[in-house]
Amino acid sequence: MQLYDPTSSTPKRKSVRAPALRNLEGLRIGILENGKLNAEEMLKEVAALFVQRDGCTICTLAHKINASAPAPSGMLTKVAQEVDFLITGLGD
Amino acid sequence: MALASPRIHEVPDDLLAAIDFCFDQGWTDGLPVVPPQVDRVKAMVATDARPPATVIATHPATGLELSLHAAAVNAVMAGCLPDYFPILVAAFEAMNLPAFNFHGSTASTGGSAPLLLVSGPYADKIGMNSDVNLFGPGNRPNATIGRATRLILRNVFQMLPGISDKSTQGNPGKYSFCIAERARGNPWPLLCETQGYSAGASSVTAYAAGGFCNIENHGGNTPEQILISVADAMANYGCITLGQSVVILAPEHMRIVGEAGWTRKKAQDFLFFHAKRSVEGMKAVGKYRDREYDSQHGEGAHPSVETGFMHRGLTPDDILITMGGGDAGGHSCFIPSWSRGRGSIIQHAPIRENK
Repeated sequence: MQLYDPTSSTPKRKSVRAPALRNLEGLRIGILENGKLNAEEMLKEVAALFVQRDGCTICTLAHKINASAPAPSGMLTKVAQEVDFLITGLGD
Repeated sequence: MALASPRIHEVPDDLLAAIDFCFDQGWTDGLPVVPPQVDRVKAMVATDARPPATVIATHPATGLELSLHAAAVNAVMAGCLPDYFPILVAAFEAMNLPAFNFHGSTASTGGSAPLLLVSGPYADKIGMNSDVNLFGPGNRPNATIGRATRLILRNVFQMLPGISDKSTQGNPGKYSFCIAERARGNPWPLLCETQGYSAGASSVTAYAAGGFCNIENHGGNTPEQILISVADAMANYGCITLGQSVVILAPEHMRIVGEAGWTRKKAQDFLFFHAKRSVEGMKAVGKYRDREYDSQHGEGAHPSVETGFMHRGLTPDDILITMGGGDAGGHSCFIPSWSRGRGSIIQHAPIRENK
């Protein structure tokens, strides 16, 4: 008996991790918050630790309109040019 | 992204062993499936005139694509007959519209299931149930089209429980959640007519749905009495958000509303005005947010929003109402949205009949 496979035949995306930062000192931080309750507050607290410990600067606060949809590519491209690393995460 | 050729598995010529093989591959929803034999899949996909490799939906986060072929494989597994396939295709064409955001609604802790509402003559043509035991078991197209939807989310889009599907509790509609709109005795235009499709056309409406809330009222005899019961369910503290709503009125309730001359719009307006909670009450249960209040009461607010209250949704148009179920019984239902705001918006698509 021959059975078709029901899973996707889309080729897998190749994704790689960005290289780890060697040093955090004095770097520019971006915050991407998803609009959920307490998201901005939580991420600002996290960013403040980098400011306090590593002399980082908070440069950009970006807001997603829809928490459960991917961030628009244009937003990520813009933020990537303005900061050295980005903090994001769920808040609720 | 170009799809690779469909993969074929050779298995022993033994039906029960083939069912076990499907379990072993992790292809099922926990229930046995019909093994997707090549000939059955070809008969299914042949009901759509387009090439089998045609992509009808793409996962917005992973880029995984749903072809007509892959939809047909899962439709066979769910137990669909070929005549059901146009509904399944239309369902995913609706869910593929960006505002539906089917990644979020299938991945979220909210545990939603896509509710499919089939409207128009095609539902009768294939024997769908819009009548007694509407949401219950026993009707093949209702059961298997909804089930095929889940199998596609699982097998093609890899929305796997505990991994990519993080539903806290889920809901029983995640097995199957597909109904037909009842035309018989319905005093209002069918959904497919209000959606602007031509006469004789049918449609599928997709809604990222939370659980099912029964609305019992056997004593009310006026539209206001019936619809206040509905509004109260819509505004319960566990459900009230800025999200959309689906209300399926039982024929007994619809008769009271319709015979009093109420239109769908009048019922929507009434429900929107009455489905509300005070700001103090929302604060008392910890659900109040300034941002949400402002989005409902700020610039462009609907004229009937009441200062000091949070209504369900943003406008009366956020409430989809129609009729379904058996003749006897004062049991309607309200189905809350997965989205607490505008994270997923109801979408619809036409059913393409291969005549």
